Amino acid sequence: MDIVTAVAVGTLFALGIFQILRRNVIRSAMGLMILASAINLFLLSTGAYQGVAAAYSAYPAPRSDALPQALILTAIVISMGGTAFVLALLYVISDRYQTSDQDEVSQLRQ
Amino acid sequence: MEILFEHLPLLPILIPLAGAAVALLLRPNGRLQVGWALATMGTALASSGWLLTSVWQRGAPLTFASGGWLPPFGIVLVADLLAAMLVLMSQLVLFSGLLYAAGAGDRVVRTPGFYSLFLLLATGLSGAFLTGDLFNLFVFAELLVISGTILTAIGDDRYGVEAAYKYFYISLLASAFMLLAIGSLYVSYGTLNMADLAARVGADPSAPLLPAAIGLLLATFMIKSAVFPFHFWQPDFHTAAPTAVSAMLSSVVVKLGVYGFLRMTTLLFVQQAELIQWVLLLLGSAGVLVGGLSAVGTHNVKRMLAYSTLAQVGFILIGVGWGTPLALAAALVFTVNHSLIKAALLMLAGAMASRIQEKSAAFSALTGAGRSFPLPGALFFAGALALAGIPPTNGFVSKLLLFRSGIAVQGWVILALIAAGGLLTLIYTMRAFQRIWWQEPAGPLALKAGDRLLAPALLLGLVLLLGLWASPLVQLAQETAGWLQTPAVYIGAVLGGQ
Repeated sequence: MDIVTAVAVGTLFALGIFQILRRNVIRSAMGLMILASAINLFLLSTGAYQGVAAAYSAYPAPRSDALPQALILTAIVISMGGTAFVLALLYVISDRYQTSDQDEVSQLRQ
Repeated sequence: MEILFEHLPLLPILIPLAGAAVALLLRPNGRLQVGWALATMGTALASSGWLLTSVWQRGAPLTFASGGWLPPFGIVLVADLLAAMLVLMSQLVLFSGLLYAAGAGDRVVRTPGFYSLFLLLATGLSGAFLTGDLFNLFVFAELLVISGTILTAIGDDRYGVEAAYKYFYISLLASAFMLLAIGSLYVSYGTLNMADLAARVGADPSAPLLPAAIGLLLATFMIKSAVFPFHFWQPDFHTAAPTAVSAMLSSVVVKLGVYGFLRMTTLLFVQQAELIQWVLLLLGSAGVLVGGLSAVGTHNVKRMLAYSTLAQVGFILIGVGWGTPLALAAALVFTVNHSLIKAALLMLAGAMASRIQEKSAAFSALTGAGRSFPLPGALFFAGALALAGIPPTNGFVSKLLLFRSGIAVQGWVILALIAAGGLLTLIYTMRAFQRIWWQEPAGPLALKAGDRLLAPALLLGLVLLLGLWASPLVQLAQETAGWLQTPAVYIGAVLGGQ
């Protein structure tokens, strides 16, 4: 299972970074969402195995740590709020600038 | 009083948070909302003043285990001198920002959510300084970013949305980095409590993911603080934000990264601090040069001040990078002084921009506009002197301390850079003063009454006061630096001397 998780995290991460670097603003917003998923999966994997001295390691039976799952829950909520806000911003930008090309959304340079 | 004292480290976070919720309910009555926001911020400011004096008198950090979950398991709030000092500084500047917003003519300050978002900004900043838990720091930093971005996106500037987009994008990336660092640290050490983590990292620095976590955290705080190679979003963002907000962003919000660096070098990664300090010295010096030169080359007074923040944060990072007690004290004094000066200068720039017919902070539009307004001119002049570090202002005190610590560690090259940076500061601030208040206008200017000047006047009063009567702040900074030099103070206060 380790290798599957590792490959999945790596693939999602690479995809996310690649999409973020695209010029299309909507594609790069998707990149952010993919990146958030990659990181959530990474956080999950930190709790799936016994850590060095995790809070619950005193229990006799090896069990997955609940804390990373709580962290992921928080991170999901935050990234959902962030994504919604990015999409709202993109809506205004595409309306105001009439483009989805990142290079054309730069009228601030003076 | 007893119950308030027990919850003291919580108050600077809880008061603005509750105030923000109530401010939303007061939407129908604008004046009441303004009054409420000011009262809330004033109470929060009083509580953080109480916090700082209690911590200082007690001589040990105050902690608060939220929900009764004892550290290292629950989330703990830790008010050591560093946190209490930064909270007081930021709430002071945030209070002045609210005062400015109350007297501003922008449309945005009459948006129903403006004051709530402003109070949430205060919550995020105070929480990030006070929390003793790495993940909680992430949450508060995220609150800070989101409220700051919305405040910019709804601003009057038509490019506000573009600036907000750029900033939010890079901030989301920073949060991603921070989460990765948190995951790496958690899997290596099984804790997220900063004191516990510091003790465990000190006991076993050989975890393979530790260098990755350090690098990711460094990148995160560099983005938060707009340190040199990560600064590209900052001038846009700080120029397009509404004046009251950009004065906060460019003064206290960028200090979150400085706080992060201080915690990294003096608490979390003491054994690896040398490498981190070397990076900070390098990037800080680069920031001083790049920021100073870019500020000289701008055509917009707000943008100039935003680039100047890049340079001034560079000075602070040099202090953190030298890392001696004197240099840390210098960095802390510099942090406080720069916040006051930069907030006042940005408010004055925005106030002048609001006094011309079509609101603009470009030099071409502002040339000669100040000739009818001598009072903001005098205030700007005082602020410019303070930014460049000329007595009798507090900027002189911070530069002097930085120079002395530089001489003590014999960093001659960087000292020469600091001197050059100070000269550049003088050049660009005086050029701005000359363009706006000295030069003849090109044609007849249509001027109007603009934003009120109470807030920057108060801040500049403090700037002069702290320049003439500097010893309390310097003493406080030196004592703080002493605490920072012994991480056991922080760790012992949280874990009970384990």
